[in-house]
Amino acid sequence: MTVTINGTTGIAGVDGSAATPAVQGADTNTGMFFPAADTIAFTESGTEVMRLDSSANLQFNSGYGSVATAYGCRAWVNFDGTTNTAGFCTIRGSGNVTSVADNGTGDYTVNFTTAMPDANYCVQCTGESSAASATNDSVFGIKDGSTLTTTSVNVVETIAGGTTGSDGVYYCVAIFR
Amino acid sequence: MNYVIYPNDDGGVSILIPSPEALETMTIQEIAAKDVPAGKPFKIVDVSDIPSDRTFRNAWEYSA
Repeated sequence: MTVTINGTTGIAGVDGSAATPAVQGADTNTGMFFPAADTIAFTESGTEVMRLDSSANLQFNSGYGSVATAYGCRAWVNFDGTTNTAGFCTIRGSGNVTSVADNGTGDYTVNFTTAMPDANYCVQCTGESSAASATNDSVFGIKDGSTLTTTSVNVVETIAGGTTGSDGVYYCVAIFR
Repeated sequence: MNYVIYPNDDGGVSILIPSPEALETMTIQEIAAKDVPAGKPFKIVDVSDIPSDRTFRNAWEYSA
C-alpha cells in the first residue's frame, strides 16, 4: 500500500480497519478508518464505536451494544404554562425554538427556529399536572384537530374528558425526526 | 421585556413569548414577523401590560 503525502490531498491512500485504523496514535488499535466509500469510522480497542455513513447518518455505540444510527432531538423547550406571571423566565430553556405562543388556558404553540424537513416528526410532551387537575387524569399532547407543520406544533393540556384546559408550571416538548 | 399579541382562530388572543435563545440573534420584531401566523395583525407590548390573573384567560380578546 502506497501512502501519499502532498500539499493537495494531505495524507491519502490507506483505508485501515477497526483493528488497525488508518489514523492512529501510540495506541495502534484506536483511531479513524475508512470502511467503505464516503464513510468515516472510529475505533477503540479494535472495535468500531462510531461511524458517519455515506448518507451522512451519525451512528455510534453508546451502550447500545452495536453501532446504530442516532436520531437527534431537533427541537426542545421547557416552559412555564402559567406564563404571564413569570416574565422573562417563562421559557426556562430551549433549543431550536424561537417562541412559544400562549393561545389560551393550557393551549400553546411551539415555533421552531429552523424548520423540520417535513411534518412527519415525533412530538414528545411531558407536563406537570396543575392544581386544577390534581384529582383528575390530565393529558398533555398534540391539540385535537391541529396539524403538525414544519414550523410549529400546537400542544394542549386537557383534563377530565379532554375538553377543559388547565395551566401547569412545567411543560416540556421535544421533537425527534 | 416585550411580548407579541395577536388574535387567534378561536376568537381569543395569543401571546407570543420569545425564547432567550432567539433573542440572542433576533429582535422581537423579527420573531413576530416569523412566528405570527400569516395574515394576522399583531402588536408588541410590554409584559407588564398583560394581565397576570389568568382566571378568565380564554375570554381575553384582541383589540386593534
